[in-house]
Amino acid sequence: MKKSVRWGAIVAAAAITSMTLASCGASGGSTTAKSGDVKSIKVVIAEYSKDHTKTFWDAFTKTYEKQTGVKLNLQIINWNDLDQQSSTMIQTGNVPDILNENAYASYAADGLLYSADEVLPAATKADIIPAFVKSGTYNGKFYGMPDLSSARALFYNTDLFSAAGISKAPTTWDEFTADAKKVTAIGNGAVGYAQPLGPEEAQAEFAIWLFNNGGDFKKNGKWTINSKQNAATLQYLKDLSVKDKVTQNNPGGTNRTDGAFSLFEQGKAGMVVGFSPLQGALDTQYTGVKYAIAPMPTGDNAAPQTYGVTDYLMSFKKKGNQDAVKAFYKLYYSPSQINTWIKAEGFLPVTTSGLAKFKDDPKLKVYLDTLPNIHLTPTDDPEWDKIKLTIQQNIGLAVAPNGDPKKFLDDLQAQAEAGK
Amino acid sequence: MGGRSRRQRRARGTASVAEALLWLGPALVLIVGIVLYPAITLVATSFGTYSITGLRKGDAGTSNYTNFLTSPDLPRVIGNTGIWVGAVVVLTVLIGLALAQFLSKEFVGRRFVRWAVIVPWASALVISSQLFKLIYDYYHGVLNQLLLSLHIIQKPIDWLGDNHFTMASMVAVGVFVSVPFTAYLLVAGLNAIPADVYEAARIDGGSPWQIYRRITLPLLRPAILIGVVLNLIYVFNSFPVIWILNGSNPGFGNDTLITYMYKLAFRSAQHDVGLSAAAGVFNVLIILIAVGVYLRLVNWREGKEA
Repeated sequence: MKKSVRWGAIVAAAAITSMTLASCGASGGSTTAKSGDVKSIKVVIAEYSKDHTKTFWDAFTKTYEKQTGVKLNLQIINWNDLDQQSSTMIQTGNVPDILNENAYASYAADGLLYSADEVLPAATKADIIPAFVKSGTYNGKFYGMPDLSSARALFYNTDLFSAAGISKAPTTWDEFTADAKKVTAIGNGAVGYAQPLGPEEAQAEFAIWLFNNGGDFKKNGKWTINSKQNAATLQYLKDLSVKDKVTQNNPGGTNRTDGAFSLFEQGKAGMVVGFSPLQGALDTQYTGVKYAIAPMPTGDNAAPQTYGVTDYLMSFKKKGNQDAVKAFYKLYYSPSQINTWIKAEGFLPVTTSGLAKFKDDPKLKVYLDTLPNIHLTPTDDPEWDKIKLTIQQNIGLAVAPNGDPKKFLDDLQAQAEAGK
Repeated sequence: MGGRSRRQRRARGTASVAEALLWLGPALVLIVGIVLYPAITLVATSFGTYSITGLRKGDAGTSNYTNFLTSPDLPRVIGNTGIWVGAVVVLTVLIGLALAQFLSKEFVGRRFVRWAVIVPWASALVISSQLFKLIYDYYHGVLNQLLLSLHIIQKPIDWLGDNHFTMASMVAVGVFVSVPFTAYLLVAGLNAIPADVYEAARIDGGSPWQIYRRITLPLLRPAILIGVVLNLIYVFNSFPVIWILNGSNPGFGNDTLITYMYKLAFRSAQHDVGLSAAAGVFNVLIILIAVGVYLRLVNWREGKEA
């Protein structure tokens, strides 16, 4: 009898202790508790590169704290873990004040975010390139503030091209296939086209090609994923590896960074779709590779489209953090900050003032000319966040020898429409 | 009288509640904090509806469970898990038995070999897996280069990307990282067998194979039992090997329940922590049942008496 009483007491005590611990864990990072303005904000930033991200944001933190007197708790997270960590933060109520992610619409749809009217100075908003304001606008309000952008273009190895007897970059898909065949024919491990359709970033690879075949994911508010143009595009991408055999082995299982890019960096790939950070790597680390950059070849004989990507700095509605968040944006978008950061990481600007600042950089010219007309994915639709994940996970199966591109797109269209 | 008996009891070592708490407290806090609290949270999460952002939208009832159990990828994933756990555990124990026999003999350089066997155990799973990813690489991997230069194969094999080889390649790594622990467990088991039993067997004229089967194996039974149960749990829960080696493959064709659970939460189109939590509860039940069935099959209690 007595023994059980003791056990009861022990269990009760332990339970209380653990509950106290747990509640500490839940409320420790949040700053919502007190009234009035917050004394600190939590800023979660994606790690774009090991070398530059921390350097810039540490300096930014110092400036911000000096200017505002608000403490900035900086957390830099690797892209691979970012989604998991941000999702866990929100699930456990440990919401950051500012979050840097590649999607925002789902957060806006959940009613978690401040819109630009609440936190972005009018002059700053006016400086942001209209194409990015549009892609950051959900339901008529601007929630997804762009932090930087990148645009893709065709990189080709000029040594391999001259060895294959090709004098200029392809401008049509027929030329592209022919050139890729010539490069592959050199042998000795040469690959015509390095095609990354593995889970890492497959939606980008697919988007680049379908935009240059008159296709799109969404047109006039309607999903057009299984359109004729898109189906032809995916079939073409599949044929490159299965029929023409001009790609590296198993494109559906090849990621971009450690697969396609590394083949190009080793001088093995004739062509790859790249962006300015790849250019940076080629100019500093892999200087043996002679290359040039050209607009994407097109399948429909129209003018080449430039596929662009932007990431976002969104801010979460929390009691008393509005002024601190506003000060954050004001500082971030000041030319001395944002341009330093974009230059260090080798990306492209998102502001008109940034365009003016970088326009004389010969390396960026090929991208900057197209930036105001850049073609983006429908990131303003929360459903896209799931479509993107499906493409990443499953497109590799559709381009496998036994894959069915048309069925994959039909399923994707059905998924998108069901989400509405 | 009462006072004396009480003092006697205390002298025998019965502590007061406060004393007991003081000693048990840290362990209990750990158990409640690290085991019980997350388990309760897991179950609670599995009954919630979550947005893709991680925001709880409301109660889901049992829909997460029905959605998980009816998902079209599940049979394949369960099949993969069976092959993965079965193959790795069986091969690990067999190789572990052979290796333990070898390591328990005296020979020149034994200390060296013992150290070498520990290395894969001492290095982090993530590092070993990354290393194997490089070894298996289609274009630059050492394995293909070796086999090509020995003319065993005519063209490179896509060890991780070709579905015929992916699981076997992962199993090989799983065995590689599990063998050291198992081998050492069995070495300890072998050392615990008294030498005079062997002597008696030899005097009675037993052949080496007879001695191994009739004496060594039965006496090793407790060690093998522990080795199998611990490996079942470790291998089932093993995340890094499959996550890294299968990392660039599309779909769920080579996933086990553990990596599938992670993908459901953060990578798949569902991107649903509620669904993933239901998968987590399912996984715990599966491994409990698997261990229970195994112990039942080998007559655990009998084994303990032997």
